[in-house]
Amino acid sequence: MTPFAEIIQYIISGITSGSIYAMVGVCWSIIFLVTGIMNFTTGEFVMLGGMLTWVFLGAGIGLAPAVILAIAATVAIGIIVERLALRPVRYPSEMTNMVITIAAASIIKGIILITCGSETRVIQALIPVKQISILGAIITTQTILVIGVLAVMAIGLSLFFNRTLFGKALRATAINPKGASLVGIRINILIVFCFGLAGGLGAIAGIVIAPITFTGYNIGLMTGMKGLVAAIVGGWNMTGTVLAGLGLGLIEGLFGGFISPGWKDAIALLVMILFLIYRTISFSDGVNKV
Amino acid sequence: MNTSKVPLHNSKHHNIGLGRNSSLLDVDRVSKRFGGIQALNDVTFSIEQGSIISMIGPNGAGKSTFINVVTGIYAPDIGQVCFQGQDITRLPAHAIAYLGIGRTFQLEELFPSLTVLENAMVGCHTRSRCGMFSSGLRLPSAKTEEQRIREEAMENLTMIGLEHKASDSISSLPLGERKLVGIARALGIQPKFLMLDEPAGGLAAHEIEKLVKVIDILVNKGLTLFIVEHNMPFVMSVSQRVIVLDGGQKIVEGTPHEVKANERVIKAYLGEEV
Amino acid sequence: MKASNKFQVYIPWMILVAIVIFLPVIISSSYMISIMAFVALYGVLAIGMGILMGQAGLFSLVQPTWFGFGAYIAGILAARGLVPPGIGIIVSAVFVALIAYIIGAPILRLRGLYLACATFGILIIAQISFVQLGELTGGHSGLLGIPPLTIGGFVFKSDLHYYFLSWALCICCLMFCSNVINSRVGRAIRASHDSETASSSLGVNIPKYRLQIFILTSVMASLAGSVFCFYLRFAAPSIFGFHLLVELMLMAVIGGVGNVWGPLLGSFIITWLQEILRAYLGHFFPVMTGEVTAVFFGVFIILVLIYMPRGLVGWVEQIFRLGRRIYEHIKSSVAQ
Repeated sequence: MTPFAEIIQYIISGITSGSIYAMVGVCWSIIFLVTGIMNFTTGEFVMLGGMLTWVFLGAGIGLAPAVILAIAATVAIGIIVERLALRPVRYPSEMTNMVITIAAASIIKGIILITCGSETRVIQALIPVKQISILGAIITTQTILVIGVLAVMAIGLSLFFNRTLFGKALRATAINPKGASLVGIRINILIVFCFGLAGGLGAIAGIVIAPITFTGYNIGLMTGMKGLVAAIVGGWNMTGTVLAGLGLGLIEGLFGGFISPGWKDAIALLVMILFLIYRTISFSDGVNKV
Repeated sequence: MNTSKVPLHNSKHHNIGLGRNSSLLDVDRVSKRFGGIQALNDVTFSIEQGSIISMIGPNGAGKSTFINVVTGIYAPDIGQVCFQGQDITRLPAHAIAYLGIGRTFQLEELFPSLTVLENAMVGCHTRSRCGMFSSGLRLPSAKTEEQRIREEAMENLTMIGLEHKASDSISSLPLGERKLVGIARALGIQPKFLMLDEPAGGLAAHEIEKLVKVIDILVNKGLTLFIVEHNMPFVMSVSQRVIVLDGGQKIVEGTPHEVKANERVIKAYLGEEV
Repeated sequence: MKASNKFQVYIPWMILVAIVIFLPVIISSSYMISIMAFVALYGVLAIGMGILMGQAGLFSLVQPTWFGFGAYIAGILAARGLVPPGIGIIVSAVFVALIAYIIGAPILRLRGLYLACATFGILIIAQISFVQLGELTGGHSGLLGIPPLTIGGFVFKSDLHYYFLSWALCICCLMFCSNVINSRVGRAIRASHDSETASSSLGVNIPKYRLQIFILTSVMASLAGSVFCFYLRFAAPSIFGFHLLVELMLMAVIGGVGNVWGPLLGSFIITWLQEILRAYLGHFFPVMTGEVTAVFFGVFIILVLIYMPRGLVGWVEQIFRLGRRIYEHIKSSVAQ
């Protein structure tokens, strides 16, 4: 492959993974904006999407029903995490919520490991595979599907949050929970909805990426973290998160291709740390000298 | 009342002119904006040593913001604050404590994880120097300093009459006593200048009596006091001079009687009984 | 302070030292002795975590990394014969203190959850580094060829040696931390956790003390890591990652972070629980015991946080306080 084609190939794979980071980042944002909780099970939602699909496929169900069941199951699991693990805490603090979601992620990961084993799993392509050549590099229909799903998700969520009453209620709750409940918005239901939505979207991300990068019990951690990076760098809003996710994927792809694949995962985290430090520096105006 | 705005580097004093070095705090054209709200607008005045100044004004007038600016929690956008001739405008809050400016908070801001005595001992933080190492190894110097701080803190608690509650938790105290603990804590830095943010807020009559007694003690010790308050009888009885803030601006400055009769002040409170 | 009060303060310490010294007399199984050694080492980590999260209010998730640095640096230096093992321990502690200083200054300005994210990032990056710098660290398969610890001619060989060494370290750290918490700096840090504004207004330079506590806990973790690697004669990246972090959090939470002793109790409980589970579940899930334990611990953390948020020590403290209040109430009403 010509060097130029190599670059294009890395860019394509970068955008593919970047789309996943963007989707996962959106899952983090939805919950964080509305509830203020950083939900560390987000990565596991992605893992569940792929793994549960594999489980259901193995049970002899067709592809489409398996996918739907997997998504539904993950939605349910997301709701269970909120109801059983987070809701009962009497005096929730940031630290408590964080530790609980980390513990829940550990539980989910462990259960999948026990029931499904530790090998990476493959699920078949979701749409007929065709390879298209672009500028000397190859892009598969799977990749196009991933990007397409991201686009649909982004547009769909946009419309949802801006045009529907329910979506606006969610935004209102994100801005001012007390005010929202005062005008009659049932916050508890909204919170449950958010967790379910994040679960579903995470599962979809996991399902579309699984045919490309395979899936396994332990992919949740890194994928989740990179989605978190996208959300933080993107400022938690949708456009920023999507752009940050794609950008992160690109940087990672090029770095991993040309410099070192082993250190690839560290790049995302380094970006996050540098960004956070940069933010503290740029935020120190005269407002709070403490 | 002469409020000439002589530039600060030429003369450190405006107003009263009681002699060259009597000015403890000089506030010069301080302004502070938060987003769309101008919290302080061109505030200028001086405070002489040993005086008792009150600042009043309707809710949202910027009184707490003013305290925050002087004590270094915020830096003003424009303007200067000088303490004993030294420019403290950009100093961080902890440095200002070392210079001898103490304050209390409208919402007490006590430390619930610590006992009453420990709260007062944190107040004496600036009065000792032992660091992590000497404390961790329990060196003799650390132990003697700790004992001294404990005694100083107890003195402060005794002054406000709460020494018998030294080992109690903060949450067990009623509001009036919590406010007094806040004062005892601030006294720990042995301040020359003490800013009280609504010390009488929410207090019952007997608690206010106790507060007035404490303030008397502080005055007799030579402390310069700056009191932000809503409670008018309290303000009138305690202060030598009153500054009125409205919408971030100083609208009137004078003796309690002058201020009470001032039309602008009455208008600012919209018919509230002054 | 009354003389009797002064003496009372030393009682828990004397009990602890007595237990540590006499335990090997009662228990002859070197397996159990070695578990107790790990209780001490993990205890050091957990105590640090408890101080950071409970007293200082810092969500620092980076303890396992300092543990790893302590292990790897001392281990590499000793394996290559570059310095005597004892010096290696000091070198790694100094190195870790330096890194903590450099990283801490910018990072500790982050509040709450963002600090957690940043320190978690460091944890993962460090783990990746341990794998990637294979020539130094031995990569995935781990560092081998570490000689036993020798100090001044004395060779630490047996489980018993490391048991006493680990507990000596643990008790020293516990004492140091307890002293700090009850001192000027400790009060300042606890106050800043309650109210940053109020404590600064009293002269507390919060960033400075946060950094000091951060460096202190990092050095503690490094020392524990060094002893750990000389004991096991082994170090591997998988040890110093997410799994250990979850365990430490569990220890801190179940023991209770309001008190320096809590996490040590937590370490005792969790380390033993892990051994018991490993033995018991080994029958049912011979391959998966580690992961099943992880599931179990996850459920455990959640249950503790819901039903006993102040941990065991906090719960016991609450009972004592209640008892004391009842006692004083009775005393005062009898006096009337």
